[in-house]
Order: sequence, then structure tokens, then C-alpha cells
Amino acid sequence: MSGKAILVHDRELEKYGFGPDHPFNPLRIRMTLELCEAAGLLEGYDFTATESATESDLLTVHSLNYVRRVQQAGLGEGEPEDLVHYGIGTPDNPAVPGVHDAGAKISGAVLGACRMVMSGVADHAMCISGGLHHALRSKASGFCFYNDAGVAIARLKEEHPGIRIAYIDTDAHHGDGVQWMFYDDPEVLTISMHESGRYLFPGTGGVEELGRGAAAGYSVNVPLDPFTGTASWLECFEAVVPVALRAFGPDIIISQNGCDGHRLDPLTHLAATTRLYEEVPRRVHDLAHELCDGRWVATGGGGYDIWRVVPRAWTALWAVVSHQDLPEKVPESWIESRQAGSPVELPRLMRDDPADFPEGPRAAEIAGRNRRTVEAVERRVLPLI
Amino acid sequence: MLLVRDSMTRQVVTIGLKNTAAEALKLCRERSVRHLPVVERDELVGMVSDRDLRSATPAFGDPARAAALQKIVVSDVMTRDVVKIRPDDPIEMAANVMRERGIGGLPVVDGSALVGIVTSSDVMQALVLLLGAHEPGSRLEISLPERVGSLAEVAGVFRDAGVSVVSVVSGPASGRDGRVAVFRGDTIDPGPVVQRLEEVGYTVYGPPSE
Repeated sequence: MSGKAILVHDRELEKYGFGPDHPFNPLRIRMTLELCEAAGLLEGYDFTATESATESDLLTVHSLNYVRRVQQAGLGEGEPEDLVHYGIGTPDNPAVPGVHDAGAKISGAVLGACRMVMSGVADHAMCISGGLHHALRSKASGFCFYNDAGVAIARLKEEHPGIRIAYIDTDAHHGDGVQWMFYDDPEVLTISMHESGRYLFPGTGGVEELGRGAAAGYSVNVPLDPFTGTASWLECFEAVVPVALRAFGPDIIISQNGCDGHRLDPLTHLAATTRLYEEVPRRVHDLAHELCDGRWVATGGGGYDIWRVVPRAWTALWAVVSHQDLPEKVPESWIESRQAGSPVELPRLMRDDPADFPEGPRAAEIAGRNRRTVEAVERRVLPLI
Repeated sequence: MLLVRDSMTRQVVTIGLKNTAAEALKLCRERSVRHLPVVERDELVGMVSDRDLRSATPAFGDPARAAALQKIVVSDVMTRDVVKIRPDDPIEMAANVMRERGIGGLPVVDGSALVGIVTSSDVMQALVLLLGAHEPGSRLEISLPERVGSLAEVAGVFRDAGVSVVSVVSGPASGRDGRVAVFRGDTIDPGPVVQRLEEVGYTVYGPPSE
């Protein structure tokens, strides 16, 4: 399998962040790209820059009232009591300077990546700044102001009438924003695998949230039990995703590759290792070749252990996107440059040693519960596609 | 808030005493309803459900079914002693009546006028809105000692963290002493709230274990 890959990035994209004390820290983007470079994975790959999303791009999925509020917030204007009604100015979504520009930049990057894949400039594209899947039509939510995948999907639909778009979200949190934007649309298949909403934000994403009207079956949710590990997660993925994609027949696949389901992530209760973040992209890659001539755009997403997890997980993602081999060891030069700033010891190996992440005593029970969830998806959702 | 009139359906699909079972079932099917108030000269005189109609007629496939559906009329099978509710009654009262009597729909009557119908689906809808279950949030289950002010203290921790509360309910803890509060906080990162609650002595129930 092959195909030309591009890495969509420029330094402007690293401006989307909320300060050093906030969990969503753009340093993780910087460190990932530095790790890719140190590992020799950027040779022959220049960063591809894109335009910002225009206001009319954003208005495909966001309300004008909301976009105005984000613009105000980015300029330090607007009334706090008014902005908070739109989810802006909360601890999750602070009203930081330039937030509109930074958010529009990210939406433009993912839209640009999709356009380049559709036009054949590239077969696969990666933009790790993208993946802001919680942004709602009129509300900032869960660190997300503008829904980049939503904007890209809406624009692709306009530019390619009849196009069928599959969105696959393996972030630990339910991909609610993207789901709700296309909940009535049978030309957009959204699949989200995430920790169940029982103990985790946003609380939605049950199996029965399966789409509405003619789109019943086109929102696929696989809520996983807390402490789900890589083996059970991959088993669920394999049971659901290829079946759903083959039934749907996409023209392009957009994947959200949040890596906050890792055992070390401080915000969630899942227990994946780096193997998940290598295997899932591989499967998505192969399915893209099987079903849509390789057309695949990969975004980032959540991931809050920015030292030990995110750089390695998304370097592995880039290795799959660009068909390169991942080195065994984390390059010394990267460790040297970043260890001093890190509160934890940086890992030496690119892949987790499974011995460091033994299964818990309830692993079999958790896997069994996930199997029953998948059976419910197979029985009630997949036949509708 | 949370009154029957906030949740009821105002466009009521009704049926007459002399309509046949076939007509009533067709109406249920076409309008996607399961409970039909029976109205005679603008007065509510009974209630009939699709279940009443089905159990009064022979099963599908029975050759006698078609004739029976034409012969049986609504007044033969309807409930005459109708349980009613008023629009300004609290929704929990409607829920309790439906639970006690094992019925799925109540006509809403203001004076003698039929002004709406409230069904178990409406009650569920009210529950979802009440709990904010359709909105993004982090659900925290917190033990609440039986003393005045504990709920306020927990709410204060959310306030101090700048996290708005999407919904809050408290009730007796099942299988545990005391009470429990379920807060839905509008945050993807409840860590600071949980940490503070634990520091001041509250138990926050997390997932079982690995």
C-alpha cells in the first residue's frame, strides 16, 4: 500500500492554546513535530501551509451569533455574562486573545487538507492541530471553539455534491460536536469509540444515539468501559468499523486521533498503550485504500499527557500516514532537548513495553462488557447503514 | 418549571364514542400515538389505548379479526373512570400517578376542558431536560453527609472552580448511608473540583477499578 502523504502545518497553528496551566497546551504539537524530525520522519516532507477558514466557511456549521462572540472574545471584547452563554470564558474555554484567528486557522488547515486529498494533490494528509470535535453549533465546549472536521465536511459536501464522508473518532471522549452537526445526514457516517459517558465528559455517545430520520444508523457509537485496554479496544474496532465503512462506501475518510485513551492520560479512565495509536491508523489507512482510493485525512484531538504520550502517539500516526517505519528508540537528541522542561521522565522507547502496563484484574470482565456493547451496535445500528 | 403544562402535548388526537376499533387503531398508527382521549360533545368521557383495542379484538391472522374490528366501537372498550391531571400540577405528580396506576398517558383537564395529554414519553423528556442528559457535562456522584449546608458546600466548590453546574439532584443513597448528590458540571476536566471535594472530606464515586 502506498500513496503520497502531506503534513499540513505552520507555526500559526501552534497559537491555539490557553496558557501553560491549561491542559490543552500547544507545546504538544511542537514536541510531536520535533520528535518526528529527530526520528528522521520529516525528510522529504515540507510543512504544507493553508489559508484560514473564512467566516463563511465557519458559518457552514456555526451560527453567526456564536462566531461574533468568538471574534469578540479574541479581541478582549464582549460581556462575560453574554459570552458564557456561548461557553466562552469558562475554565475549559477561556476567552484568550486571538482565539478566533487561531481557531479559524485550524479549521482552514483541516479543510485545506481535505481539499488537497480530494483534488489528488495527496492521498493522505495529517493535521495534528485539528480534531476539535466538541465545538457545537453555538457553543464552545471541551477546549474546542470551532469544529474543524465539521467545517471541512460541510464544505466538501458543497463542493462535491453527493459525496459520502466517513468520520472516525477514537478520542477518549465522545465526538459529540461532529455527531450532532450531521445527525440528520445519511451522507455523513460518524463513528465514535470512546469511554462511556458514565464517568466522563461529555456524557453522551450511547449506542442508541444512532442518527435521526433517514440518517438512522449513520451515527455509530461504541461506548467503552472505563479501564478498557488496547486488546479489547482493538477487538471492538475490528468488529464495528470495517463493517460500518464497507456498508457505507465512503469517498473520503476523516479520522480524529485523540490519544487521551492512553493509560497515562490524566483526564480519562481508559488504559490503552501506544500500540492502539499505531494499529488504529494502520487499519484506517488500509480501509481507505480498500474503499476510497486511499483518500484519508488524519487529525489530532485530545491528549493530555503531553510529555510521555502525545509526541509518541502522533509520531506513530505520521509514520503510518507517510508509510515510514517507526524507529525503536526515542532519539537521544529529542530527550536531551526536552527532558529539562518535563515534570516526568521521558520514555526511551517509541512503543510502550506491555510489561509496564499489565492488565488489571477486571480486564476479562471489562472486555466482556465491551463485547456486549458491540453486540448491541451490531444488532441495532449497523443493519441500518 | 416542571409543571404538566410545560411537558404536555397540546394538539390532542381524540376519538368519538361511536368510532370503530378499526378507525381508532388506524388513527393511532397514522398519528403515532398510543392513547386516545374519547370526546363526546366537547366533554372528555373516556380514554382508550391501542393496547385496549388490541386486546379486545382477535389476533392478527385470525379470520374473525376484520369483522371484529368493524363491529367493536370505542365505547365498548374504553376506560370510563378516567384518571386526569391538571396543567398546573407538578410533572412528578403525573409521573407518580402513572406509576401507581400502571398507565402510560393522562388527559390534562382544565375545568372541564381537555387541554392536553401527558404520556410517559413526555415524562422521560422532562427527566432528560432536568438532568441535562442531552448536554455536554461531567457527571459526578458525591456522598452527602446528613447535615445542613453540605449541598451548598459542594456547590461552592464548583463555584470556586468557575465550573457551572448543568444540573444537580440529590436523593437517598442506594445501599449506602446518607444521601448522594449527582452534579453535572460543564467541564471536560473535573479533576480540580474532585480534588477539592476530597480535600474537604467528600467522597466522589469514580469508576470501580482496573
